[in-house]
Amino acid sequence: MSLKPRVVDFDETWNKLLTTIKAVVMLDYVERATWNDRFSDIYALCVAYPEPLGERLYTETKVFLENHVRQLYKKVLESEEKVLVMYNRYWDEYSKGADYMDCLYRYLNTQFIKKNKLTEADLQYGYGGVDMNEPLMEIGEVLTNLITLISEPLQAVLIRMLLLEIKNDRCGENLNQKVIHGVINSFVHVEQYKKKFPLKFYQEIFEGPFLTKTGEYYKQEASNLLQESNCSQYMQKVLARLQEEGMRCRKYLHPSSYAKVIHECQQRMVADHLQFLHGECQNIIRQERREDMAIMYTLLRAVSNGLPHMIQELQVHIHNEGIRGTSNLSLENMPTLFVESVLEVHSKFVQLINTVLNRDQHFMSALDKALTSVVNFREPKSICKTPELLARYCDNLLKKSAKGMTENEVEDKLTSFITVFKYIDDKDIFQKFYARMLAKRLIQGLSLSMDSEEAMINKLKQACGYEFTSKLHRMYTDMSVSADLNNKFNNFIKTQETVVDLGISFQIYVLQAGAWPLTHAPSSPFAIPQELEKSVQMFELFYNQHFSGRKLTWLHYLCTGEVKMNYLSKPYVAMVTTYQMAVLLAFNNSQIVSYKELQDSTQMNEKELQKTIKSLLDVKMLNHELQKEEIEAESTFSLNMGFTSKRTKFKITTSMQKDTPQVINQSKARFNPSISMIKKCIEVLIDKQYIERSQTSADEYSYVA
Amino acid sequence: MKVKIHQWNGVASWLWVANDENCGICRMPFNGCCPDCKVPGDDCPLVWGQCSHCFHMHCILKWLNSQQVQQQCPMCRQEWKFKE
Repeated sequence: MSLKPRVVDFDETWNKLLTTIKAVVMLDYVERATWNDRFSDIYALCVAYPEPLGERLYTETKVFLENHVRQLYKKVLESEEKVLVMYNRYWDEYSKGADYMDCLYRYLNTQFIKKNKLTEADLQYGYGGVDMNEPLMEIGEVLTNLITLISEPLQAVLIRMLLLEIKNDRCGENLNQKVIHGVINSFVHVEQYKKKFPLKFYQEIFEGPFLTKTGEYYKQEASNLLQESNCSQYMQKVLARLQEEGMRCRKYLHPSSYAKVIHECQQRMVADHLQFLHGECQNIIRQERREDMAIMYTLLRAVSNGLPHMIQELQVHIHNEGIRGTSNLSLENMPTLFVESVLEVHSKFVQLINTVLNRDQHFMSALDKALTSVVNFREPKSICKTPELLARYCDNLLKKSAKGMTENEVEDKLTSFITVFKYIDDKDIFQKFYARMLAKRLIQGLSLSMDSEEAMINKLKQACGYEFTSKLHRMYTDMSVSADLNNKFNNFIKTQETVVDLGISFQIYVLQAGAWPLTHAPSSPFAIPQELEKSVQMFELFYNQHFSGRKLTWLHYLCTGEVKMNYLSKPYVAMVTTYQMAVLLAFNNSQIVSYKELQDSTQMNEKELQKTIKSLLDVKMLNHELQKEEIEAESTFSLNMGFTSKRTKFKITTSMQKDTPQVINQSKARFNPSISMIKKCIEVLIDKQYIERSQTSADEYSYVA
Repeated sequence: MKVKIHQWNGVASWLWVANDENCGICRMPFNGCCPDCKVPGDDCPLVWGQCSHCFHMHCILKWLNSQQVQQQCPMCRQEWKFKE
């Protein structure tokens, strides 16, 4: 066949064409050869000589299609009850037919339509919506026609039927799923060639009414459910309904509608009944009904103002749990019980939030708020005990103890301790207590290990920053600086011109005054025993040679030593304070030593000296010559030559007393103190570090030497 | 000897001793530290000049670096030399 333009008889060709396109739109059988011929015919018409007949072909085709659609409309209209089914069938047939038509008319589409393409300006003011990139005008027109001719007059009926069908579907009688989907889909497809708002028709004609109906349906559904179920059942059913509706959306609707429909359902079933749900929230959380919590979270999360109430309830619940766990702890082991109790609550609710509440950060911060209030809880008008408690917890762990924990176990405990530590408001107070206890551990050599000490300081640094731990770190490094100094000092002694014999094994800690929480003013004057003088002199000589501009102050109340007692059945070694040492040494020169003599030799004031003597009397290393309880100016003392102890090496602790009742007895002569007043005073004394709580017993205190 | 000292663990603390309370440059106490440091002690030492004036090391170094012609003690205007 020649492609050359030639004279064509329009009517003859059109008649041939007409029979074929009739078959095509009805989806009847068309032979391949016929199809090809008609394709050529269209080409021939479009390029006809002398005048191309494309425009006429276009107009005729349009008229034909219009008529065809009118017929379809009639047929649909006649079907009455089965309007939906019929409409769907014809739509299906017609849209497929239209696709074929589009193929058949491809030459016309690409040539004729392209030439007559509308300008941008025309597009702006909207004639159809024809564009190069869009499906062709032919189809666009055809579909619009179908809708204007069928859907519009039928609109009301169609939509009513559709909504009815969907309602049946919701009730479980889903008969015509395909039809529903097909019809809805036709609304979507009708204007899909449009560049602007291709879904406008779908949204106006169907989506809007559908949403309204959906809202009404679920409003009714919600009130039905509420009547027949309790909260837990209601939530389960709502959740199921929401899931069903989600599935239904995917079955029938355009994806743009999914969220809108679900939102509508949530509004009617959740948001409208927020008060009811919130009312039940408290019980669910207090009873920790995990399943209900999970569902409630899912439901409330979706609506605005849903969650805050639930978050608040959980916070209150955690707070109550925490307070319950941390109050009325046995005094015996309070720091450990406290920390473990807080950790238990923490891990329990972290687990709950992670598994049940989707790791929601809002709940996590509620947990933090609740635990902060638990940890910093204090009785009205009293100070918060937690900082001290936590410092004591660390102290217990870091001290050498009989518990026999390995360094790793301690490390793990301290790591989880940081969780609790982060909740304290008064971190400075914690730091004060911690520094005091650290100082004691370091100076008295009580630390479990220096590695653990350093690790803990680093943990605190991580949690609170460099400045928080700078003093603690300074204290820690003073220990190694001191070890270094001791080595240098030993070398120094060896390299002196004349051989120096200190006579004792000597070791020293040199502490940087500002970093340590120590009183640098001594509580009593003190003359060091002659046996120690040489060590002191030599070290001062050494120190001043090494460092200029530094002043060394001896802190005798912190110095300790070991004395060997050669006068007893066994060579006992006692670990003593320097004060105790000075008193004991006085007996080297005489059997019986008077109080006055001790005062002269040690230069100690009455208070310190009495305390020191008392501690030696208490362990029965000294005898009071007058067998009296009180120490008086006239008292004389002697060594207990029959002293025995189970251990050959032991520590002489400073005297312990049962304070409160004793205080009452002692002060009765002058005034009758109230118990609360004594307690307050004891607290002040503890704060000032005169006394400390005994580790073993709750109502005993010991003097801090 | 009935009682013999076996071992003695001394404890002592140290402070800077200068002829003044405060550093003449930053006016902070000598037993505190200069404004650039956070902790007093070995990390923020004091130094003495031959004129016997004393400053935080960091303070006097800053001062000396800012002097273009002659390096003088900020207190007595004598030439600054570190005391050995």
